[in-house]
Amino acid sequence: MGFFTQLVTDPGGFYRGHELLVAQCGINAMLAVSIWFTLYSGQLALATAGFMAIGGYTSVVLAIHGHVPLPVGTLAGCVLAALAGVAIGLPVLRLRGVFLAIATIAFGEALRFGLILNLPLTGRGQGLTNLDADPTGGILPVWISVSVLGYLGWSITRTRLGHAWAAIREDELAAAAAAIHVRAHKLAAFVIGAVIAAYAGALDAHLNFFVDPTEYGFDRAVQVLVFAVLGGIGSVAGPIVGAVGLTALPEAARWASDYREVLYGVILMLVVVFRPQGLVARRRGTRPRGRAGRRPRPRSRGGPAAARTD
Amino acid sequence: MVRPLLELTDLRLHFGGVRALDGVSLAVPEGEVFGLIGPNGAGKTTLINMVTGLAPGGSGSVRVAGVEVMGRPAHAVAGAGVARTFQGVRLYHGLSAVENVVCGMHRRRPPDTLRELVAPLGRVRGQRAARRAAAERLLDLVGLSCAERSGVPASALAYGRQRRVEIARALALDPKLLILDEPVAGMVPTEKREIGSLLGDLCAGGLTVLLIEHDMPLVMTVCSRVAVLDFGRKIADGKPGAVARDAAVLEAYLGSEPTSAPPPPVRSPRRPAAAPRQADLARGVASGRGPALLEIRDLEVRYGAVHAVRGVSIEVAVGEIVAVIGANGAGKSTILAALSGLVRPSAGRAAFDGLDLNRAAPARIVAHGLAHVPEGRQILARLTVRENLELGGFSRGRGGRLAADMAAMEARFPILAERRSTPAGALSGGEQQVLAIARALMARPRLLLLDEPSLGLAPLLAAEVFGMIAELHRGGMTILVVEQNAHRALGLATRGYVIETGRIAFAGPAAELRANPDVRLAYLGADPGLSPADPPTAGS
Amino acid sequence: MVIGQQLLDGVFIGSIYALFALGYTLVFGVLDIVNLAHSAVFMLGAVFAYSLVALHGVPFGLAAPVGVVAAALLGAVIEFAALRPLRRRGAPPIAPLVSTIGLALIAVALIEQARGTGPLSWLWRDGANSVSFPAGTVPQTTYHLAGLILPLPKVITLLVSVGLMFALAYIVRRTQSGRAMRAVAENPGAAALLGVDVNRVILVTVMGASALAGLAGILFAVAISDVSPYIGRDEVELRGLAVIVLGGMGSIPGTILGGYALGLIEALALLAFGSNARVGIAFAALFLMLVLRPQGLLGSRLTERV
Repeated sequence: MGFFTQLVTDPGGFYRGHELLVAQCGINAMLAVSIWFTLYSGQLALATAGFMAIGGYTSVVLAIHGHVPLPVGTLAGCVLAALAGVAIGLPVLRLRGVFLAIATIAFGEALRFGLILNLPLTGRGQGLTNLDADPTGGILPVWISVSVLGYLGWSITRTRLGHAWAAIREDELAAAAAAIHVRAHKLAAFVIGAVIAAYAGALDAHLNFFVDPTEYGFDRAVQVLVFAVLGGIGSVAGPIVGAVGLTALPEAARWASDYREVLYGVILMLVVVFRPQGLVARRRGTRPRGRAGRRPRPRSRGGPAAARTD
Repeated sequence: MVRPLLELTDLRLHFGGVRALDGVSLAVPEGEVFGLIGPNGAGKTTLINMVTGLAPGGSGSVRVAGVEVMGRPAHAVAGAGVARTFQGVRLYHGLSAVENVVCGMHRRRPPDTLRELVAPLGRVRGQRAARRAAAERLLDLVGLSCAERSGVPASALAYGRQRRVEIARALALDPKLLILDEPVAGMVPTEKREIGSLLGDLCAGGLTVLLIEHDMPLVMTVCSRVAVLDFGRKIADGKPGAVARDAAVLEAYLGSEPTSAPPPPVRSPRRPAAAPRQADLARGVASGRGPALLEIRDLEVRYGAVHAVRGVSIEVAVGEIVAVIGANGAGKSTILAALSGLVRPSAGRAAFDGLDLNRAAPARIVAHGLAHVPEGRQILARLTVRENLELGGFSRGRGGRLAADMAAMEARFPILAERRSTPAGALSGGEQQVLAIARALMARPRLLLLDEPSLGLAPLLAAEVFGMIAELHRGGMTILVVEQNAHRALGLATRGYVIETGRIAFAGPAAELRANPDVRLAYLGADPGLSPADPPTAGS
Repeated sequence: MVIGQQLLDGVFIGSIYALFALGYTLVFGVLDIVNLAHSAVFMLGAVFAYSLVALHGVPFGLAAPVGVVAAALLGAVIEFAALRPLRRRGAPPIAPLVSTIGLALIAVALIEQARGTGPLSWLWRDGANSVSFPAGTVPQTTYHLAGLILPLPKVITLLVSVGLMFALAYIVRRTQSGRAMRAVAENPGAAALLGVDVNRVILVTVMGASALAGLAGILFAVAISDVSPYIGRDEVELRGLAVIVLGGMGSIPGTILGGYALGLIEALALLAFGSNARVGIAFAALFLMLVLRPQGLLGSRLTERV
């Protein structure tokens, strides 16, 4: 039976047949929401994978060595990620665009290659086996979390904090001249993103019996970015839609067998060409950019796309 | 005298070896409009950057309502009640006008993000509606039409409209002091009067305004005091009338005598047949009579939903200067952009010496002999002066004559030879305009399009640039100039067109336009007696 | 001598990093975007040259230039499929990141699926496996100098890279095409008004950058004896990004310096800490660099004018 046919005619059977996929969609949705917070405030930060590793390893290490229950381990991971977020964010958040992206990738890779792959505590390159994992029991908490985060992301764009983020995204200098403490607000977005990523990392580690260091590399960081951009970063719905769609795609495209990856690439290109603002985006009558030299302004260095406010 | 709201004492700032500010002291009284004028590069913008915390590293004291803010970061100064606009307009360009203003309300909103997140939906909606209403009121105040407020990103608005949105956003801060950096640059007199009366109203409401402007009529009418900066020093400070007569100010900024300025003096409207036109007639290349070099027929341009140009027909004959004047957003620059192939017209046609401009690629158009000096000059700031000039000859391919032309151009504009190896971005505004025109000439054009050549230039420099244009014309160049300084433009041109909302409202010989009462009221300023740079014409 | 040999290897690999990263720099300088399909071109350049030599019996001296030309054509594919459509639609600056990732995924997936039978068997038959040029098909002379081992492929790599870098720097600085490129980089609208065909400049830039990537891939494949669908993604993609940041975005001399710096840092870290930590140290150094000197080694100041 086809993927979509079963989804419509036999949702129960579909769910039982795809429990892991459903869980993975939720985890990826949370990661996409995590990066959305930074993108919404105008920062191309790619530290998601690094913070996810902090959450995952912290909770599993505590479970193995301290037999700490999952909620406590998760909380510890989040706190550690928040601290790391502040420590990393303070120096790097004055960077912009691609510079920030690469600094945050460098953080993730330095963490992975420098610490995780070398410390006995984190199992070096072998990873960790998590005997307490509960692959199916985690689905409900994961999706409840996605809903809560989705609600928060949706309503925060209407608050003072959300408006400040939008202002900073559009023009940092003008935002500062409008009494917005740019550094503090950027840091807030970065740390919130870090905590969400660590939370998702902890839940993810609890869905799998094995914590694999290769899961937290550059590829993962880029993948999460693609979820968010493809879905559209104008509102929090975009990253969630993007994450679920792209996570389910290889499963839905089983018919393409060996060429699933090719199909995945083709779909990325088609979506970004035909809906450059993302799948979930409000259409606006914008002037064609790029050709006309009509409104001269210095080019911004690769800041993320325009998003909506209020 | 009223208690000063803003008090600057001995402000000093150095950039490398250059003294940008050299001991400036000022007192801006509460509830008044205080004007700050001076030549380009005198340090006006640097001064307000220092006040607003955007130019770190200087010394001196900045007190706002008695509180020292020197050395505080920008957001803290703004938090103390100082709002500003920027010379180059820095809107949140992806957001609509209303969203811009709402995002500007940061200071007046309590830090209640967490409460807003958990509040019941009804209350959140109520607060949101209240914020929008407040934003709409501010946009009413600055005179932005409803169609421009939401649904379109601010970057799609015309430059002058963006300036209004920026003022509204600054007011959203609920400031004590409002600093405006050239708010009426590029506006026509009607718009300037609107901004002038807005400033009056704001002060009546208790706001203090620090106004940087090159537009002397506005400064003279709205300011109660004026200070003049030159080379980082204050050279005058006092009542507007007294400052305008000050010898040092005339020398440094306004130009000593209008008649000694290089461009041909403006003729009295009682003798409409102006001299340049007579001269052209004698050479047989007068208005519309010579062979047409440029022909535009029923040109229409649309940007998505915006209908920017609605059926415009313009003709330029060999040897003419034709001026196109009109308000901001009337579509003047769009017409030029369509001519040089940067935007494609949706209907109509334009032909330049046998070349179909609707179809030809921009590179082909330049190679055919049409050079365009864009609004804002758009020199390549990171390339040297010499490289800019060399690129001007790009369309001519690998011809051996380039070197000879370079030498000729440097001989003609000695300032460019002097600063040959400087990055063009380091030139002053006037020098950049000279470079932009010289660069266009390197293409050996037969028709030169000039978009706002005097924009942002102090009166003295603007006069020099117009002198240069007149000289080019005397040398036989055909010119189509778009200009907000209608006085100057029509004084120079053989014929003129007035564009209103994408259509031609008036057309005819320049002298006739200058005599037309409607044109005079809307574009030439009702009270020209207040403009020392433009000599008074007899009243109508 | 171990230290000397390691440093020498650091310089060799550094020149490949620099060559590869120059392509990133060119495209970033002109278009302000990071072209993530660049690493796929690196890989495909190597695969082309390998296929010509190993599957079609073409001598290496001919296969290498053909591989470079093929890489340049791939650059045209990148421009027409992933960049120009987005420019035309006024896509946000982040969008090309996704479209170029899409292209890279397609390229890697196609090669890793290619077996002895199938539509791509003329190009690649080894699926996800790593192969090297058959013995005797590539220059393999080795020189000994003061106790150091100097294999010919590495010497060629070094000479070709250095020569090309000087040539590139000259073109960009001193020729009218180079000036046009810098004009487009700074202000495409103004460049068009000067008669520069902006789309053509961009096409030539992307093709030139891709040719550099292809050449770097071929030199890598020969010098390191490794061809696989993953050499671009795993060996140079991230390092190339590190190099351009290390040197200062958009600066050609900075990129070259950054390439050698990264090669040497890795060589030293390998000596001191072993292979896992090598990459970790390199990234920690990059991170520190960004914090202490965000404009890179030779980049210009980042401050913004009000």
